[in-house]
Amino acid sequence: MFNLLTSSNVFFFALILWLLGAFGSLVLRRNDQVANWWGNFFAIFGAIAALTASLPVLISGPVFSFSIASSLPLVSLSFNVDKLSAFFIFVISLIAFFTSVYALSYIKQYYRHYNIGALGFFYNIFLVGMVMVVSASNVLFFLIVWEIMSLSSYFLVIFENKEKDNVKAGSLYFIMTHLGTAFIALAFLLLYRATGFLDFGAIKENIGVATPLVKNIIFILAFIGFGTKAGIIPFHIWLPSAHPAAPSYVSALMSGVMIKTGIYMFIRIFMDVMPDAPLWWGVVILIFGATSSLLGVLYALTEHDIKKLLAYHSIENIGIILMGLGGSLVFWSLNMMPLAILGLVAALFHTLNHAIFKSLLFMGAGSVISATHTRNMEEYGGLIKYMPQTAFFFLIGSMAISALPPFNGFFSEWLTFQSLFAGVGALDVSVRWVFVLAAGSLAFTGGLAAMCFVKAFGAVFLARPRNEEVCHATESGITPRISMAALAALTLIIGFSAGPTANILSGVVNDLCIFHSSQPAFYSTALTVGLRNNFASVSMPLILISILVALAFTFFIVSFITRNKKIKIGATWDCGTALDSRMEITSTGFARAVISIFRGVLMPTKQVSVEYRDEDMRYFQKTETVELGVHDIYQSHFYQPIYLFIIKVSEQVKRIQSGNVNMYILYILIILMALLLIVNI
Amino acid sequence: MISIASQFLFFIETLLFISVIFMHLTRKNFTAIFLYAAQALIISIALFYSSLREASLLLLVVTIITFLVKVVIAPYFFFGLIKKHRLQFSASTYLNGPTTLIILALLTAFSYSYFFQPLTSLAPDDGNALLLAMGMMFISIFLIVNRKGVLSQMIGILSLENAIVSFVYIARLETTAGSQLGILFNILIWIIIATVFASMIYRHFGSLDASAMRHLKEE
Repeated sequence: MFNLLTSSNVFFFALILWLLGAFGSLVLRRNDQVANWWGNFFAIFGAIAALTASLPVLISGPVFSFSIASSLPLVSLSFNVDKLSAFFIFVISLIAFFTSVYALSYIKQYYRHYNIGALGFFYNIFLVGMVMVVSASNVLFFLIVWEIMSLSSYFLVIFENKEKDNVKAGSLYFIMTHLGTAFIALAFLLLYRATGFLDFGAIKENIGVATPLVKNIIFILAFIGFGTKAGIIPFHIWLPSAHPAAPSYVSALMSGVMIKTGIYMFIRIFMDVMPDAPLWWGVVILIFGATSSLLGVLYALTEHDIKKLLAYHSIENIGIILMGLGGSLVFWSLNMMPLAILGLVAALFHTLNHAIFKSLLFMGAGSVISATHTRNMEEYGGLIKYMPQTAFFFLIGSMAISALPPFNGFFSEWLTFQSLFAGVGALDVSVRWVFVLAAGSLAFTGGLAAMCFVKAFGAVFLARPRNEEVCHATESGITPRISMAALAALTLIIGFSAGPTANILSGVVNDLCIFHSSQPAFYSTALTVGLRNNFASVSMPLILISILVALAFTFFIVSFITRNKKIKIGATWDCGTALDSRMEITSTGFARAVISIFRGVLMPTKQVSVEYRDEDMRYFQKTETVELGVHDIYQSHFYQPIYLFIIKVSEQVKRIQSGNVNMYILYILIILMALLLIVNI
Repeated sequence: MISIASQFLFFIETLLFISVIFMHLTRKNFTAIFLYAAQALIISIALFYSSLREASLLLLVVTIITFLVKVVIAPYFFFGLIKKHRLQFSASTYLNGPTTLIILALLTAFSYSYFFQPLTSLAPDDGNALLLAMGMMFISIFLIVNRKGVLSQMIGILSLENAIVSFVYIARLETTAGSQLGILFNILIWIIIATVFASMIYRHFGSLDASAMRHLKEE
């Protein structure tokens, strides 16, 4: 019987469980509670099965693949799970497990308002889609499952369809994701035309016949297509709208995992299927990564919608992952394999870490929103008194995303830094400056991310409530807290086990054929990670001791200074006004200084509207409202011109719409004859 | 040496080709329908000849149904339409007679051009008939383009279908009898729907002239 428990069987079993969860939820949709439990229990068990299937491949590496015959021409339902796929299946199912546990209680707020059966259906289909995307080995099959993933996530984004903004966000996501798919399909068509195969393995073996020009075009198309899904600036505009629109645990999955499918395909296409990348591919990815990370965090700082803030941080973290990946491609093209492995391990490590802490943060935000019924951070304040556990978990997530030791985010960013520093030291001037700028951007990003989460945590949980709803907030249900606690623990566990984790990831990278016989530029033991050239190393025990010493020292100093001071409670002298929440610094006010510094990039806007007591006299103001915002430069400088151009072209094309049926048939005749001519020439 | 079958095929294809040429020249809807019925009859005779040659009962059934649908039912519906809306003389065209004939000559020359010679490999003995069927297809489409009346356009569509059938017949690309029956059923349903649709158009616009329907275009 145990013979049946092979990775491939368990993997297939996971897919079946998710499908059962999906269709069962639909069947049981009339009873909200049953549909919720059915959908999420199958999602949990499916995630456990997928974790079980991926772990053996990830650790010991018995790659498995299987194919199911299809009656469709050119399409075969082919799966190939190597270490890279297994890593992404592991990340997807790990986060899916926690989001599904979280959802058990979270979904209760939708009872009798929305269709829980449909939610369970699309959620489980979404999980199936994501896992199949990272395991499909046939191009057409990949496009089908990519579409399944995109469509199911679209329906999850518009789940709360009574909110007009959500439907609008969904439409934007739908358009952008299909625009991206069009580029991906074009890239795959070119791959097929160049090699004559639709199987990734066969394409890899025959890619040598493709000309450099074709490969470069495929790179550009794939970069735009998968970059749109990953949310790289400037293809990101759907992300800050769509992620906040979905239910919070779905946002956690979308932000933590779904956008990583774009990263997976970058690695698969640029480092596995087309294994002779020129230098400029890596440089382009590095530049886009640096730009995305810096601008992502800057936009996050300007946000006062908590979920939008987190969504912008996803763009920032995708940028950090791209810096590792881009650096790796550069080193690889220059045949510096040890450094290339270092860069790719950093990228994969940050992929895992971001999935964990971003899910934790979205769950924390979801709990806060459920309790207060608003996403506006200006209306929170003082929630630590009402939701202390959620506040604690959110704080851990904030520290992890800010790359503070000993949490996991620190180690992956440290590895990324080492990769960039190595580039600065080892490359010639023409490429070195890109690494210098990328390292600078990463340093800026780290500082600004910490500032942003000081703002977020402070505005949400500290000080006094700025809204009546906050005073009625209660701690979220037991399953959300279990999920958040587990993820918070994981940030710490992975932080302390950075060495073994880096080792496993090194194995994943070595499994790619281009790195088979290469040693990484770093070493890792159970307690230490460092570079082989002794440029830098980190020791987990040393970090722990440093933190404990720092805490003890701080405690001692504070105790010493305040030893003779007693707490006195009395009226504060503040011009006769009692302290209230209006005197607190708001999240907008907190970020204003940074916005002023980066005004050239962010283009802040200020709109003042005044209401007078007497409109004719206009001496005495009744109210004055100031609206501060940030100008969307991508909208105005990139998408708006494209939109206007398309409208202009459409107006011209519309002229062929004469309204005369004879003309339309004449068009058909002309096209038919032209096609016949082309075919015969 | 050309076999009798090849001569027969070329002969019936020539008759079909002439019928569609005359459809262009006629100004009466009655004549157009009569020409279509004649065209359909020729197709039926060709199928009947095949059924005898193959000694296939199923093909004979297909022949009979083809005859019923195309030679009897379709003209019946069209004559009803003419009678109902008094459309005897509404077969007006966009181009005048000489220009139409020049275009017909060009389309025929195009179908016999170098570009379509590879098609003759489908039936090397009947290459001429095959290219004539190709020309008939183009000319049938051009009939739909050039005619203003909806009824003439419907006849053009059915003539195009006959051209395709003749092409398939000459190239010996016939499918099974079952699928041929399915196609005939399709045509029957299309004729019924198109006739009803034409009546609705007449009721709405007071004419079956396609050029009178310009405000169907989005403003």
